[in-house]
Amino acid sequence: MSYLEYNVKSTPSGLRKVLYLNWPLILLLCSVAGVGFLQLYSVAGGSLSPWAEPQMKRFILGLSVMLVVAMVPVWFWRNMSVAAYLISVVLLIAVELVGIEGKGAQRWIDIGFMRLQPSELMKITLIMLLAAYYDWLPGHRTSRPFWVLVPLVIILFPTYLVLRQPDLGTSILLITAGGGLMFLAGVHWAYFTAVIAAGIGLITAVFESRGTPWQLLKDYQYRRIDTFLDPASDPLGAGYHITQSKIALGSGGWTGRGFMQGTQSRLNFLPEKHTDFIFTTLAEEFGFVGGISLLALYMLIIIFCIATAMATRDRFSSLVTLGVAITFFLFFAVNMSMVMGLAPVVGVPLPMVSYGGSAMLVLMVGFGLVQSAHIHRPRGRN
Amino acid sequence: MIRTPLRPLARILSARDRGENPDAIERENIRRRHEDMQDRSRARAEGRLLVLGLFFFCAFTVVGARMGVIATAEPAEPLANAGGTPIAAQRGDIVDRNGHILATNFETHSLYAQPPILIDPEAAAKGLARIFPDLSEERLIKDFTGKRKFVWIKKKISPEQKQAVHDLGDPGLLFGAREMRLYPNGPLAAHVMGGASFGKEAVNAAEVIGTAGVEKQFDTYLRDPANAGKPLQLSLDLTVQAAAERVLYGGMKIMNAKGAASILMDVHTGEVISVVSLPDFDPNDRPRPPTSGFDPSVSPLFNRAVQGVYELGSTFKIFAAAQAMELGLVTPETIIDIRGPLRWGKFRISDFHYYGKELSVTKVIAKSSNIGTARMAQQIGAERQQKFLSALGFFDATPFEIVEASGGKPLLPPNWSELSAMTISYGHGLSASPMHLAAAYAAIANGGHYVAPTILRKEGPQYGPRVMSEEVAKASRTMLRQVVTEGSASMGEVPGYAVAGKTGTADKPKPRGGYYEDKVIATFATMFPAHDPRYVLVVTLDEPSENSGSEPRRTAGWTAVPVAAELIGRIAPLLGLRPDVEPKVLAGVTLTSSN
Repeated sequence: MSYLEYNVKSTPSGLRKVLYLNWPLILLLCSVAGVGFLQLYSVAGGSLSPWAEPQMKRFILGLSVMLVVAMVPVWFWRNMSVAAYLISVVLLIAVELVGIEGKGAQRWIDIGFMRLQPSELMKITLIMLLAAYYDWLPGHRTSRPFWVLVPLVIILFPTYLVLRQPDLGTSILLITAGGGLMFLAGVHWAYFTAVIAAGIGLITAVFESRGTPWQLLKDYQYRRIDTFLDPASDPLGAGYHITQSKIALGSGGWTGRGFMQGTQSRLNFLPEKHTDFIFTTLAEEFGFVGGISLLALYMLIIIFCIATAMATRDRFSSLVTLGVAITFFLFFAVNMSMVMGLAPVVGVPLPMVSYGGSAMLVLMVGFGLVQSAHIHRPRGRN
Repeated sequence: MIRTPLRPLARILSARDRGENPDAIERENIRRRHEDMQDRSRARAEGRLLVLGLFFFCAFTVVGARMGVIATAEPAEPLANAGGTPIAAQRGDIVDRNGHILATNFETHSLYAQPPILIDPEAAAKGLARIFPDLSEERLIKDFTGKRKFVWIKKKISPEQKQAVHDLGDPGLLFGAREMRLYPNGPLAAHVMGGASFGKEAVNAAEVIGTAGVEKQFDTYLRDPANAGKPLQLSLDLTVQAAAERVLYGGMKIMNAKGAASILMDVHTGEVISVVSLPDFDPNDRPRPPTSGFDPSVSPLFNRAVQGVYELGSTFKIFAAAQAMELGLVTPETIIDIRGPLRWGKFRISDFHYYGKELSVTKVIAKSSNIGTARMAQQIGAERQQKFLSALGFFDATPFEIVEASGGKPLLPPNWSELSAMTISYGHGLSASPMHLAAAYAAIANGGHYVAPTILRKEGPQYGPRVMSEEVAKASRTMLRQVVTEGSASMGEVPGYAVAGKTGTADKPKPRGGYYEDKVIATFATMFPAHDPRYVLVVTLDEPSENSGSEPRRTAGWTAVPVAAELIGRIAPLLGLRPDVEPKVLAGVTLTSSN
């Protein structure tokens, strides 16, 4: 049973919608993107090229896309979600085939002015489909085994395709965001407890079996896991980025070395300094204060998303909004943990700050959905 | 769950009574039920949202706290060898008998690259190729642009080179401090030192291990941290060694020899004061061993003094005479028939010159008669000869403490027949190293005790078992003195120093049997001062040829002897021996002077 049955006339229409946009959220997104421009400018040694200028263009494009998505009523997006999901899956499979022809792990499709990563698109369309699914599903069926199995397939099939590319970071993001959405939709606790217990059991079994005759993995696989979990054991190999970013963070101290004064990142010690590891540049130049401020901006964005979700009356709007919030949260939480050595290195960019088009565009589409839900929420209980 | 009926009969009836539309009641109830459901699912959703919010909050706190911890932490460079065992680089010094440094450690740097952090691999490769001309630019570019994350470039570099690399300014080129072995005297005593190289290597340290000579022999001692600060003291004397090398090198050149060796040994303690093998090398830059299929004895690494075993020729004759006297078969004045050739089956023994029909034992040695010596050996017999030579150390490798010495194992005849006994008595059929000869002559010189040659500093006499009586040793010395005063070694006279000794010229064996006619090993084994010997000196020249006369002269008397005389003249003062006049007793025995 859907709750999108409120009076359409109570929502704004036409250009008046602009007035009902969630302007504080837009302002926050712009400031985070601004931090990104500053850092890309600094990393390039005080120059708009090669990173800051294209990033600005992309952000403006993303902002326009967000506004367009926001203007469209949210129930249109709910109705389109199955189609959007299917298109993403088809694109993922297409990338797989093209990748084989191109003799390499190709993750993107060239669409002229930019490269599109279907796996990035998947992050939004998966959330849309899951939200629409729970919007459609009668509440009392949410925890029935069959109706739990369906979203699992919806999540795991694209995850499998992404994992084959291989892209561990996106896979983890898809599973976690999908699982989080199922949790918010009200699937029974027992399912999550069972999955977590099974996961812990499997990991324990794998590690306990090490060195015994029935060991589950090969020795070299264990060594890979070791390096993955503890990059410090291989400071010149897998742990190189971590080591250097920790040095950068440490050398920033409380207030940092000052804008454009970072040495660690500008002296090319960090190869990924403009993408996944851009946070180190920020931490080195603006120190703990700068890092915490960025974290606060991210937190505010999440809070505004949750507020929007609570203001909406229908399940699709609230679940999509929270799904975007979870994805956004996962982006920066995983990225920051990775940079600070709390988590293993998986390729996850810092949202809205790292150089890169697809991730930003997809997030802007997601925030467009949030805005659409915000504009088209019912006002008053007639 | 108690469900309110949508159309409760009582309310509908009462509504109908009032004339109202009962459907309104149903709609109202449907709306209520919707709101109830909405509220319930909302409550659940809000509960879930609260959990998520808590989780977000925890994550924020952890990330923020971590940021604070890192921001306040002291920045520290990571250690590449964390977890590995530390490499002990400290290696003991090696000093000579007077405490002068022969080998020590030197702080240097290694150079390596981490290609992933090279800013400009091609420029770095170009720069390195300019600083180190032996490096190939193409090779470096290949290494730097490939998949490698770590490339050794140089194991040790000088401070100037380090500065030059530093000036290239590429952060991917890195230095590691390490200690290397330094031989400040260069090639001096190269064969004794041997050399050292790096064992286990890490970026910030390297293990120095001995590869040859005393460095290898005493490797465990030198590396033992318990001996820190205590150098290894050798018996060598740096000044004597330097003089000996200089003189021997000159002698080798003048005599057109392709190689030379000399050993100076203290006859009481067995200490080797100087040991030289030419050609030599610089242990700071030890050459690679020759590849197979190539005669190793041509390599400068080959130690002729202890590794090379040669037929030492007539220098052996004194052993036959000494044993014959020891056994009471002869006295120095016993007359021996030297009419030749001496036939033994189809084998003939003849002398180099014609010395007449008969000679006293003393003259047999002085003139170096093969026939006379062989006749004494015949009387001694093979069995007793083996025993005597074995007591003098000719059956085993010398105990000299450098690793190469164990390779100098004497070559003995497979079947020690009476004929073997006769040929061995004049130094053919048994090959031994010059070090063997020095140790055996030391027994004659010190009054009849075997002493083991040693490279270590010793205090006081180190006599082994007695091999001949005091009197026999003295009589033998008298004979050896006559070899110099009136025999084959007349060029061995050194003004102020009475020298006793015996020459030996052995034809070099061909690799496939038989002997060369124009290639000899010329040896002069001497002791001085003759009346109370303190040192034994053995000089060996490989393929000498003295060309000042009308035809080349190769015998030891013309080649090894003058070189040995020059050596004694130079080193005797360094050893603290004052020139003196021989005591009358010996002077009386000396009948005439040959020059």
